[in-house]
Amino acid sequence: MLRSVTGIALMSVGAVLLCAPASGWNESELARQVRGLEMNGDVRGARQMLQRALRSNPRDAATLALWAAFLDQRRDPGAREAYEQFLALPALNPDLRRDAGRRLALLELIAGDRQAAERRLANLPSPPVLPSASEAGSGLPMKPIYIPGPMRGFSRMAALSPDLLPNDVMGALTRNVVMNGYHAVGGSESLEQTEYLKLVLRYLSQARELEKFAGESRQIHLPECDSAQTGELLKILGFRMRGGCGADVVLETVNASRAFLSMDSGFPLAQLEEALRTNRPFSHDWSPTQIPVLYGPEYWLSARERFTGETIDAFLGDPSLCRLYLGLVKLDPETAEQVRQHMPVQRVRAFAHVFDFFGGMFQLRNGRVVAPGGERSAAAWADLVGSHPNEGVVFVEKLVTKDDGWMASYFDALSRISGPAVDYLTEPNRMKRFYTALRGRITSPGPARPVFRANTDLMLLTTRIHVLSDGRPHIPGGIDVWKQLFIKHPHGKYDGKLTRAASGWSQPDDVVEALFALSRKAVENEPLKIFLTLTDIDRRRERPLESATVDRLAREFRAYGAQYSLFTEAPSLSDATILQFMDAASAVSSIRNNVMKADAAGTMQALTGLWQVFVRQGLLPAAQADAVLAGLVEPFTTRIRNDQDLFDAGRDGVFALLKATGAPAEVNPHDRMIDLLAGAPDARDEESLGLLRTQMLRVFEAQRLVSLKVIFDLSEHLESLSRGEKLNTALLNRLASRVSDLNLPKASLTTTEKNSFSFGYWTERHLDAQRKLNFRAVIDRAGGNAEKLREARGLLAPLLRDTLVGLLYIHYAPPGAQILYTNSLFARSHDFIGIQGTQQTWKSTEVLGTGWPSSAGGRLVGSLSTLPYALAEAEQNFLIPSREQALIWGDLVPQMLVSAKLPRWWRVTPGQTHWVGLHLRLGEAALAEAALSPAIRTDVLGLLDRFAQPARWKRVAAHLEQAQVAQAIEQVTPSEFYHLGALVIEKQLDVPGGLHAKIAELANADPERHNHAAISAAFGTPKPTLANSLRPQLLNLRTFPTLMGYSSRILAETWESSNLFYAALSDELGYRPSQLNLLIPEWTQRTVEQIFATHLEDWPALLRSMHVIAGQIRTETRKSQALEEQASLE
Amino acid sequence: MISRYSRRQLIYSAAAAGMARLAAPVWSQSPTFTVKVDMVVLSFTVTDNKGRYINGLKPSDFRILEDGIPQKVSTFAEGNRPPVQIMEDGSVRPFQASETGDETRGGISTDAFVGTNVFVLFDTSNYMYRGFVYASDAIADFVRGLDRADSVAVYTFSRNLNRTAKLSSDRNQVLQGLRNAVAGDEAALYNALLLSLRDAAKVPGRKVVIVFSNGPDSASMVAPDDVRAVAEDEGIPIYVISTSDMNRDPISTGVFRRLSSRTGGKTFFAKTWQKQVEAFEAIREDLGNSYTVTYYPQPNPNEGFRRITVEVLTDAARRYRVSARPGYRPRTT
Repeated sequence: MLRSVTGIALMSVGAVLLCAPASGWNESELARQVRGLEMNGDVRGARQMLQRALRSNPRDAATLALWAAFLDQRRDPGAREAYEQFLALPALNPDLRRDAGRRLALLELIAGDRQAAERRLANLPSPPVLPSASEAGSGLPMKPIYIPGPMRGFSRMAALSPDLLPNDVMGALTRNVVMNGYHAVGGSESLEQTEYLKLVLRYLSQARELEKFAGESRQIHLPECDSAQTGELLKILGFRMRGGCGADVVLETVNASRAFLSMDSGFPLAQLEEALRTNRPFSHDWSPTQIPVLYGPEYWLSARERFTGETIDAFLGDPSLCRLYLGLVKLDPETAEQVRQHMPVQRVRAFAHVFDFFGGMFQLRNGRVVAPGGERSAAAWADLVGSHPNEGVVFVEKLVTKDDGWMASYFDALSRISGPAVDYLTEPNRMKRFYTALRGRITSPGPARPVFRANTDLMLLTTRIHVLSDGRPHIPGGIDVWKQLFIKHPHGKYDGKLTRAASGWSQPDDVVEALFALSRKAVENEPLKIFLTLTDIDRRRERPLESATVDRLAREFRAYGAQYSLFTEAPSLSDATILQFMDAASAVSSIRNNVMKADAAGTMQALTGLWQVFVRQGLLPAAQADAVLAGLVEPFTTRIRNDQDLFDAGRDGVFALLKATGAPAEVNPHDRMIDLLAGAPDARDEESLGLLRTQMLRVFEAQRLVSLKVIFDLSEHLESLSRGEKLNTALLNRLASRVSDLNLPKASLTTTEKNSFSFGYWTERHLDAQRKLNFRAVIDRAGGNAEKLREARGLLAPLLRDTLVGLLYIHYAPPGAQILYTNSLFARSHDFIGIQGTQQTWKSTEVLGTGWPSSAGGRLVGSLSTLPYALAEAEQNFLIPSREQALIWGDLVPQMLVSAKLPRWWRVTPGQTHWVGLHLRLGEAALAEAALSPAIRTDVLGLLDRFAQPARWKRVAAHLEQAQVAQAIEQVTPSEFYHLGALVIEKQLDVPGGLHAKIAELANADPERHNHAAISAAFGTPKPTLANSLRPQLLNLRTFPTLMGYSSRILAETWESSNLFYAALSDELGYRPSQLNLLIPEWTQRTVEQIFATHLEDWPALLRSMHVIAGQIRTETRKSQALEEQASLE
Repeated sequence: MISRYSRRQLIYSAAAAGMARLAAPVWSQSPTFTVKVDMVVLSFTVTDNKGRYINGLKPSDFRILEDGIPQKVSTFAEGNRPPVQIMEDGSVRPFQASETGDETRGGISTDAFVGTNVFVLFDTSNYMYRGFVYASDAIADFVRGLDRADSVAVYTFSRNLNRTAKLSSDRNQVLQGLRNAVAGDEAALYNALLLSLRDAAKVPGRKVVIVFSNGPDSASMVAPDDVRAVAEDEGIPIYVISTSDMNRDPISTGVFRRLSSRTGGKTFFAKTWQKQVEAFEAIREDLGNSYTVTYYPQPNPNEGFRRITVEVLTDAARRYRVSARPGYRPRTT
């Protein structure tokens, strides 16, 4: 339903009343003032102004309407009451009454209060009827099976999150069995149960014994300590009593394996012990737990299996059955039902792996398959698959069974994308051509055979290919570059057949076809990485890179590719500067002395890293970015012959950076650098800035680095000494004391132990040189020789390198960091050389040395290109899960920490956070309205189809059809709500509540800041893997699955909800945007610590955690705000 | 043991003390980083040449030195008895909380010195899988046997730390938490020990950390030496009960010994349940037979490691052996 222009005015109760006349307060003036306060971030002031207005005229319709709209837009729990007060006013304009009533009903549905909504709607003129809520159609048909004992014990043993919804338990369990339950024995095909699965089975056995013990009452009951059953129970549990009944009784282990199960499953042993000690009865419910199973046991088990054992045991004992379950449970209900009816279970079972990995994107609507490319591509799909999409499940069957999963993976990859890329890739001729290339001649093993899905490259290619406005793909540098790369690759041929074919390439499709062909290989796909990286560099450039530049970048990708994100982040860089960077990197690599090479690489990378930060933060004018980078790297291209050259290059680089950021000539370089890294030298929020500075300086002190000021003062002093001026003893002492601290802590292991176990020879050399540094002695030895004194500044080069590297460590220090405060040599120990033979100087940053007690702790190795992620990876295990058994999530958590720490929000305006909050609210409102209006529902679900996978989409649709708005909302992520809100506006859908008007008002007030590009830059997340850039951005992609080679790292990069959600939360609670610089890292840490996930794709667990933490923050903030308000009144 | 309170701090200025770096402002506009020396809390035991505890010594029987500089002791306590205050003339009187200020304003309450805050760090990684339940029994016995004045926390760890039972004097609560422990995967012993020390450092009064582990560390990012330095500086003795054979893992054995000896604790190799119980008993004895003194350090230009010496002044002192931490580094804030 499209909304009319005149309708807009009626959509907002608050907006309509802005111009209404009233007594006491001039409403237009009040609204204007409130808006002004809101735009300045003074939400509390706006609230107080409205409250004062209400106190002076509590029954004024305009003020009440304004108040209700204000609370509604900020999700205040008082919004419903405010609307009720408004509706209670006599003689209200009927249109306003209708709009307010409808909005209130929607809020009640959002809050899950269906009855209140029904009552409210009944009072409206021509009321919409809420559809009845029923279980039918709400998802896949499930039937229960039973396991002995409570869910909690089983969950603990099977590593399932206690937050799982009942319908999701079996899917999570089967996934765990598939992933962790079995391992191959030796080199054979046979599988053996892992310890994990053995413990689950042992637990079930013990639980059945306890069930028998509990009897028909299902209660484990001991009337008293001395009862006859006590011994029997304790025997099952693996314990016995030490001491007779009474105060001294203690439970002690008698059977370790049983006792382990009792304890690990969370049996209430402490309560049992207490009951025995106090001679009180002990009771514990041991009723069996119902677990819903898709289609019930009869579908999965043969009659004999059903007769001989429990369903749960059949699943645990058969990983292929688990895989089958996992495959079917991911399908949308209609597809699943059709598959069940059409395909015999044994046939489905043979292709369970394909269903598991690629079935999630199959979608049947009214018996037809929704295929990528729509009608235009349907015939091509029919040709490829052997069945037309209109044939529904027949098409699905042929798709799955065709070629061991290649066709299904192709369908899956194309189903996930939208926009020009899908138009390009689904052109019928191309589709066939690219599929043929992807499939190859030998189809086995298919992409669904390994534990992780192996179509990573295919998904990256289809997602990140850049299709230009003329419908052709962008080929960086032109086709000739790629022809030459394939024909004359410096590191050997990629593929013999492609090398032969390359000489005939003339069209972009030829190159893309080759990339599809390489995507099927399980080995490193370097050409695709080069192609996507260079595509990303060109994506935002006004003029694409020249062919010669692309050619060099492609040929030297293996050596320097990790550095290219620098070029992606600054689209204004000239080809000359990029090539100069390559020259400099190459020159540094050719330095033979490893100690000096490490210092040179560290200094150059740190300088360019600082430049990258300043460009990202907008502290360095875009017009100067190119010239500054060129100036920074120029000395490294030829001039680094000794430490003096290196020091001069580092010092000049620092001053060039400071000058470019507008620093006055006489500024303290260290102070200014910290200011810049904090992100806001001119921030108005001194309190937040001061706290951030303090955090940064604490790390600086903990790392015992030497300040830039001291280093530069000393070098100047050496210069002045060479001119015959007097020695500054205080300055020398200051440096000496800093350097002498390096002696602590000493390693507790002997030299032999260290040599046996530790690594980082060149790092130790670097540290030792600083330990031995005695400047006073150097000056004495120079004996007034001017040249020698000048040369002595070279000794400062390693110190300068450490300080510059350390400043980047400090800038990216993740929340909850401990190493940076504990290991005072951590930044200094950065190993730019790496383990012998690995040539890691320009590679991505990696964590090494974990769990090596003799290595002086773990350290970071490689370049600084992915420092933020590596730091977060190193620090993540210091976060303390707030819930038992919760696991910190290997690849997702570092990305979350980086997303919280890398962006800065000093330049974000209150209007921008409000913009985000309103969009999320509008997305929710659209979903709620969809429950009332079938026409809106069709539109909204059509929009949601772009984000949600078919099964989830069907769940949302089913909930909306039954007016279960709160349940539908739970299925949608904050980033999806944000984009849904944007699309609702773009498509002009008729969603009441005044949110449209408010957003339009913001857009008009500040069009430069209140638009999606600005919000993407402010609240997006860095995507080093997916977009080859640390620049925060929103890509609005479907959340990726885990992928071979990346685990959940790309999934994490497609998770864009956190910062948007926190921005909306800060708007709701009236925080200043500048406070986000401290709050988002803190809230992210709390969210991570709250996550209780079952598996690597369990992003709903992350969503749940965010909501829990948001609830806590709301409570804490509102409590303190209430106290503050009370105090101010007093 | 050394601990810190915010009641008083000595900020040495370069001008006053003639020290080069101490008060040099790193940040000229807002934060100033200085070396801050708070009140030092030092615990130690005195044994004779047969290893028997020597009890009943008086404040005047000791002399405390830091880098050879005699210190003026403020309070003195033996075992879990309430502390006494040492007056200017050397006389003693019961320690009054009111005299040192309201705790909420940074003062110290009498309770802070009564009893010990015991942090038990229980390894639930794969390495401890087989001994998990026996270890739990031994820890439960230890918790039950602690002095009523003591508070205890039980933390577990594998790859991450888990605050299984937060610091409490309620034994049932602690045991409930202990019995709720869950087995984990990799062992990040030194990471977990560091986090436990950080928690312990926030608590006023005497505290110790007892590590119950079989040794190998497969996931830590921090080195034992860095962790030990934190324990030294915070004044927290580390006791280690290793369930592994001391000859099987020489690296961990060496590290454990150094960790404990440098912090004023002890290491026990207790492979059997009985040995584990005995180890806990020995730790309990250590806690009950220690002396605790507090003092504010006299001016000292050394901003690095300050060596502490405890001298016994009685006639029989030659036969006595004092076990105390060797020193600490003043904190930079």
